[in-house]
Amino acid sequence: MKLRDKFSDELQSEVDLHIAESARELMESGVPEREAWARARREFGNRTLVTEQSRAVWIWVWLERIWQDLVYAQRVLMKEPGFTAIAVLSLALGVGANCAMFSLADALLLRPLPVPHPGELFNVGSTRPTGTEPGFAMSYPDYRDFRDRNRSFAEVAAFQIENFRFANRAGEPVELRTSMVVSGNFFDTMQVDPVLGRVFQPAEDEVPGRDAVLILSHLFWETEYASDPGVVGRPAQINGINFTIVGVMDEAFTGPDTWVHPDFYVPMMMWPRLTQEGQDLLEQRGFRSLNVKGRLRPDTTEEQAKAEAKVLGSALAAEYPGTNENWGVEIRTEMEKRLDGSVMGPIVVMVMLMAGAVLLVACANVASLLTSRAPARAREISLRLAIGAGRGRLVRQLLTESAMLALLGAIAGLAVGYAGVQFLKQMKVVAEVPVALSFELDERALIFSLLIGVVSVFLFGLAPALRMVRKDAAGALGGESASGDRVSQPRVWMRNALVTSQVALSIVVLTVAAIMYLTLEKDLLEGPGFETEHLLLASFDPSLVNYGDEQMQQFYRDLPDRVLTIPGVRSVALASGVPGGYDLGTYLMVPEGFDFPDGEDGALMVSSRVNPSYFETLDVGIVQGREFTAADDADARAVAVVNQVAAERYWPGQDPIGKRLHYGGDTAPLVEIVGVVENMKFNFLVERSQPAVFLPFAQQPQSRADVLLKSSGDPGGLTAPLRELIRSLDPDLPTFNVRSFADTWETNAVSPSRLIIEMIAAMGAVGVLLSLTGLYGLMAYSVNARRREIGIRMAVGARQRNVVGIFLLQGAVLALAGTLLGLVLSIGTGRLMAVAFPTHNPPLMSYLPVAPAVFLITTFAALLPARRASRVDPVAALRDD
Amino acid sequence: MMILQTLRRSPQHAYALAKSIKQSSDDLLQVEEGSLYPALQRMLKAKLVSSEWQTSPNNQKIKVYKITAAGRKRLQSNISSFEKMLDAITRVMKKAES
Repeated sequence: MKLRDKFSDELQSEVDLHIAESARELMESGVPEREAWARARREFGNRTLVTEQSRAVWIWVWLERIWQDLVYAQRVLMKEPGFTAIAVLSLALGVGANCAMFSLADALLLRPLPVPHPGELFNVGSTRPTGTEPGFAMSYPDYRDFRDRNRSFAEVAAFQIENFRFANRAGEPVELRTSMVVSGNFFDTMQVDPVLGRVFQPAEDEVPGRDAVLILSHLFWETEYASDPGVVGRPAQINGINFTIVGVMDEAFTGPDTWVHPDFYVPMMMWPRLTQEGQDLLEQRGFRSLNVKGRLRPDTTEEQAKAEAKVLGSALAAEYPGTNENWGVEIRTEMEKRLDGSVMGPIVVMVMLMAGAVLLVACANVASLLTSRAPARAREISLRLAIGAGRGRLVRQLLTESAMLALLGAIAGLAVGYAGVQFLKQMKVVAEVPVALSFELDERALIFSLLIGVVSVFLFGLAPALRMVRKDAAGALGGESASGDRVSQPRVWMRNALVTSQVALSIVVLTVAAIMYLTLEKDLLEGPGFETEHLLLASFDPSLVNYGDEQMQQFYRDLPDRVLTIPGVRSVALASGVPGGYDLGTYLMVPEGFDFPDGEDGALMVSSRVNPSYFETLDVGIVQGREFTAADDADARAVAVVNQVAAERYWPGQDPIGKRLHYGGDTAPLVEIVGVVENMKFNFLVERSQPAVFLPFAQQPQSRADVLLKSSGDPGGLTAPLRELIRSLDPDLPTFNVRSFADTWETNAVSPSRLIIEMIAAMGAVGVLLSLTGLYGLMAYSVNARRREIGIRMAVGARQRNVVGIFLLQGAVLALAGTLLGLVLSIGTGRLMAVAFPTHNPPLMSYLPVAPAVFLITTFAALLPARRASRVDPVAALRDD
Repeated sequence: MMILQTLRRSPQHAYALAKSIKQSSDDLLQVEEGSLYPALQRMLKAKLVSSEWQTSPNNQKIKVYKITAAGRKRLQSNISSFEKMLDAITRVMKKAES
């Protein structure tokens, strides 16, 4: 600024000198002093303009103006803290909603792979035009040929998710962990570096079974090895085989898959030693299970790569017609792969649209708020226009104010977004492999929010700014016309409609949340149909330790009795899948003698294989007939137990005992029904009761099974004895997923509903908040525009109370309109929901209170401006205009 | 352009410059003296002229403007394009007359 002052002073003295010289010369030629000075000045021209124009040549004038604008904007905003707060709140909601939804979209779909230049990575896969599987997997021989023959990709790598039994040291408990088998060039293709040790070398990709090396993921290194830097070179046991740790991956690299983050990586060549099918997976051209990704060469285009892939695919089909006939090779981008066949695309779009809608509404509200102050600022603006301020300058000034609001709103919005992300983090995905849904508020979200902030400035700031600086705004100097806000009738009507619809929509959304909440409450009261307390859940899979069929059956036959020997265990259930777990399947069954309507050829039933004490352990009552006994083994008659829903639906009015059904399609073997049990919920607490059929475990054994231990006390206390018992039976057999059954049920079957309700309720709350700001803005505008009228009323005797009443009424009418509309819509919605979910039908009265509550809150929002109106000084109001 | 031409003859301060221009044009060009200043600033920014404070004969501090090499070059090119334009206009007018 010193430079600027110096320049200013110099310029001034130059100009002074100029005029003085001119005057002097005139005086010398005889002009009297006063006239000389006057002429000199006149001939010079507009001094102020000249100095300003001279200064404007240099850049600091721009900076100066911007600084002036900022200071002025800050003053303006501070003068009305209430207004500023409400505007900032509105914007915060808009920005925050977008921020949270962006991280959702990011986690689900948008986030690029955590590698350098992710745009260069493409997915390679085998496709078949007639196939039913949507898969894109390749076989190892095909991959190898593609890798060797192609010229489009600098590197092509293959990988596959596998679960292995991992032990830190020999003798340590074995745990099932998720890992990836990868080709030797995998890390080179990904272009990621280890943070310790090294990556796999090409030599380790050549001989099957030779190089037992492994690389840890960063997270696994932290949790399993406590980030020990000396971990390189240490041994580890995978599926009983000794491996050596050769490296630890960088923290940022969580793997090539968005959803599954492996704990460690092993070379694909070790597959034959690790699993039974490993040999086949490497040698059989027809076994297609690998994911393949390639990094494009810089001089090759996507089209070229796709074309080449087609050619290579045809070549393979010709060379190996047995396995590759009709198969082709395709290239897909990462985004194409993520979108393919999943609901992610539509969900993300829907979510972002909703967030966008929230932002638009918030901006509309703030624009309305800004416009509401137009009458108050009209004089200031007209004055400035009159003394020569450029229109553009004024618009810039007003936009600076809006920009400040947007900045504050964006900062507050980040806080809202953070809260939203914390909420989203509670979402868990039900799957066998640990799925990572990583919701982060990272730089991308921050940049996104900033962009939203900038966009919103123009959305809500430009129109009001332009309007305020209109030509006829100058008329305000001469005196505000008494018509006040009748000036722009259509605009006011639109704003009214906006507020009304906001109120109505909020009511509908909140009503939906209320209905769902009441439904959930009812279901919680009724319970899932079985006992969840005091139960410990554990899973087994003896096929992992290569048990033969006979061995497995023996294991499961003896297991319940063995477990019963643990003190504190009251009963033991064995099942192929438990409610709330990952293994309950639904299959097509054909009850004998049932007439299916056209188009249906079977009944979808939940099915699981259970041991005799299953129903007792879960406290599920027998309604008819009997449950299984030890006599229902592999040699006995094939029997089954169905639940009440199945019995009533497929043998209506008959005694189901003795009837039969095909366990599978209509050519499947028949099983005879010996009992009917009470209905149970299987996947979600809020689901409609489904038909279910149970078979004795002994008659249809399988390798993977869940075990439930009923404890007389705390089930957690049984964990250690259970593991000990299993270890004593077979130290190699892992006991995995030991957890409390109550927790599993709560997490998988109840929480999702809770979460959805909370999310909807949050949206409803946001809607209400936005309506409040909208109404406030509208009322504030009205109060400002009608100041003269208020002044007159008060001057002729209206009391403060009356003025408050007038405006309160105006606000209440708007709120009422919105409430009534919302009421009608929510009744309709309630009916719709009753149709969609017939068993869940809370009475109208129970969720109707939502509407009046919103009405009260909204009317309350009108109170503040109404009270401001009452404090208008009538003298000032009348005099000002 | 006129400013540059005048300064080429001799460096001057703003008032003298204004007088020179007025005189050279025989008072035909009635320009407000003040409009010189923004123009001078622009030329200073474009480095076509330079300025320094000097003491005048009657002991006053005046700011004297001088043309720079770049200024001379610009003047030259301006003059030649001006002359070309003048030439073109003259020819058109001559044609119109005949």
